[in-house]
Amino acid sequence: MPKKILVNLQPIGRRVEVDPGTNLLEAAQRAGVEVVASCGGVGICSTCKMRVVEGKVTSPTLTEEEELGQELLAAGFRLACQTEPLENVRVEIPPESLVAGQRVQVEGREGQVSFDPAVAAVDLDLSAPSLEDLRADMTRVNQELARQGYPPLTGSAALLGELSLFLRRSGWKARIAIRPGPASSELVSVLPHGARIAGLAMDIGSTKLAIFLLDLQDGAILYQGGVMNPQISFGEDVVSRIAYANKGDAERKQLQERLVESINQTLAELCQKEGICQDQIVDVVAVGNTAIHHFFTGLPVEPLGEAPYTPVVADALNFPARQIGLQVAAGAYVYLPPNIAGYVGADHVSALVATRSYINNAHTSLLVDIGTNTEISLIHQGRVLSCSCASGPAFEGAHIRDGMRAAPGAIERIHIEDGAVRPVTIQGQPAVGICGSGILNAVAEMLDARVLNDRGVLNGKDARVRQVNAKAEFLLVPAGDTGHGRDIVVTRRDVNELQLAKSAIRGGLEILMKEADIPIEAIDDFIVAGAFGTYLDLNSALRVGMFPRLPVGRFHQVGNAAGVGARQMLLSRAVRQEAERIVGGVEYVELTTYPRFHDVFVEFMYFEP
Amino acid sequence: MDSNLKAIYESIVEGDNAGVQANVKVALEAGLPAGTILNDGLIAGMSEVGRLFEEGEYFVPEMLISARAMKSAMAILKPLLSAGEVGAAGKVLIGTVKGDLHDIGKNLVGLMLEGAGFQVIDLGSDVSAEKFIEATKEHAPDIVAMSALLTTTMVNMRSAITALQEAGLRGKVKIMIGGAPVTEAFAQQIGADGYAADASRAVATAKALLN
Repeated sequence: MPKKILVNLQPIGRRVEVDPGTNLLEAAQRAGVEVVASCGGVGICSTCKMRVVEGKVTSPTLTEEEELGQELLAAGFRLACQTEPLENVRVEIPPESLVAGQRVQVEGREGQVSFDPAVAAVDLDLSAPSLEDLRADMTRVNQELARQGYPPLTGSAALLGELSLFLRRSGWKARIAIRPGPASSELVSVLPHGARIAGLAMDIGSTKLAIFLLDLQDGAILYQGGVMNPQISFGEDVVSRIAYANKGDAERKQLQERLVESINQTLAELCQKEGICQDQIVDVVAVGNTAIHHFFTGLPVEPLGEAPYTPVVADALNFPARQIGLQVAAGAYVYLPPNIAGYVGADHVSALVATRSYINNAHTSLLVDIGTNTEISLIHQGRVLSCSCASGPAFEGAHIRDGMRAAPGAIERIHIEDGAVRPVTIQGQPAVGICGSGILNAVAEMLDARVLNDRGVLNGKDARVRQVNAKAEFLLVPAGDTGHGRDIVVTRRDVNELQLAKSAIRGGLEILMKEADIPIEAIDDFIVAGAFGTYLDLNSALRVGMFPRLPVGRFHQVGNAAGVGARQMLLSRAVRQEAERIVGGVEYVELTTYPRFHDVFVEFMYFEP
Repeated sequence: MDSNLKAIYESIVEGDNAGVQANVKVALEAGLPAGTILNDGLIAGMSEVGRLFEEGEYFVPEMLISARAMKSAMAILKPLLSAGEVGAAGKVLIGTVKGDLHDIGKNLVGLMLEGAGFQVIDLGSDVSAEKFIEATKEHAPDIVAMSALLTTTMVNMRSAITALQEAGLRGKVKIMIGGAPVTEAFAQQIGADGYAADASRAVATAKALLN
């Protein structure tokens, strides 16, 4: 029998094995990924285009040369229905080729902030020069600024020149966006009189990118949306991307360029939709984990890949956005809050800032952001202790037999009643896999139904438990009821992955409590942030022992707190200072070298009976 | 089997940390030699754990828990064992390579090897090539075992092997490697003698290398 070929479909995160001779469209369909194929796969439309990132495929057909053109072909784009993999391949499906978007969480509980943005709008209504009034253009502008209480203008000659030309063309009326400082006002953008000014806040996750456009005069959210982080094609987790970037300057640059390119593309689309132009985007705040922060700003990442995993830059950064190619106003800056450590980054700082309304000195709070790396902070009597746990990608659906990211058709909940399993999928579509919250819930349900024992062993007497190649697995959805015609199961190994993930998180949490020398019950507020944290079933997290059994009322699932923090920092300089102040006092606890970590980790490996 | 030994064997298989300590003490008081407790109690128990793992009955959590029980029992026995009784199977130098602080997998391999009768010298994590060389000179091990958990640090295995070669020690030891991102192909590529996908197979690999 010929060897199977593995097709890795990104950014959706599905893998499928196919026989040689299967084209990429069939492979995607077999994996349950719905791809647009308007013509039904005969190669006469170009709706199923995909980008082959890795691995050999068949040469382009004449149809492809005609439909795609040399430029797209050179960039790796192919028509999925015309292309057959010749070896294991990795393929990127562009958003437009996917029928339904993946679920990208952008919302988050909002807090009140003092409105104090870094950029202000000033309307100018000046008199024209004459033989009686020989003042220079900029003198005119500066005198008007002084009248309105702002220091004189600085800026590049090009931008000052643009202001002069604009004033002369528009009857000496304009709106300028300025960044006022103690001695001077830096010119950010030249706009028509009365034009809206907007700011961009971004939470750049390893897999997803949440983008917010805010009105910088009233703080209103003009747009919010999400796209996938295109860097996934270079490695699913940040460590693989660091390894890729370490190959050389070109590779590192590529990671930065692909990310910026994707942001620019999204900006261009949303500007068109909102009827604004890029010159109106006058300030940017970006948050992400330390690795993403470094990729985005173009910093080297070698130190993050090797012990002692130190960041290159920990302090807050604020630099011209054009330096990294962001297509926003010529004088706009991008602000990034500080990083705490190599694996506790600016996104966690942003979440800390956003949830500070919960945090007062009388309360003991715990902030948990679950991901491939789970960051935890304990706030107790004015101290902030933080750590990072290697919880692994199980909650992203990786390393799980039928795992997938949260997308239509992913099982997110199951109910086991009298031996019958009822799955609930995202958007109610036929099941094609299990997402992170689904696997957590499934394990909790299986424990309650006694399908699993406290060690995580499947009960061989259960009617749905079977042995395949001497490995036990639990049948969740039989082939006849799934979207791809294959069984969906939970294997013993999947349960094992969950055990490792949950005890990594619980172990980190317990060690922070030990460091602060307080008992678990002292936690008044247990704040669960992040996309996975929003969708997870709290009772399941308690059942498997990932979280301690505190009264349910103490838990708060706050959504994308990092995104909320980014928006607050865009609207308020005081919040930026608050972020910098918090980080100054954080006590970082390195778990890998913590003497008792191994014992604590092992202690929470099993389930409660 | 002696009922004391059976109890020790069972508490290892069950991963009962407190139980194994109590049972070892009882056995010692009953006059059983430390060497017998080690071989017929602990090592036999860990070999059963390894077998259950191979069969898919046990997974990493059980191995970690049994290994922890093994470790605390060894702490009691070690001072009572004579030189010849420890590490009869061979001497292994083990460490996580430079740049990597993740040592849970490495610790597990160390304990499984110890549970199989090897003498294990643990260099810890973030072990530089120089440290591997020094320790090889000092301890003259049969095997040098290296672990890496990160894609970014597995490359340091290659430099450690090269360094051992340059120091003229490569011919004196067998080298085996493992860790999440490491593969058989990678092991061959960097010139290691053996590779193991998990802690249980590490025992088999170590035994095969010395045969």
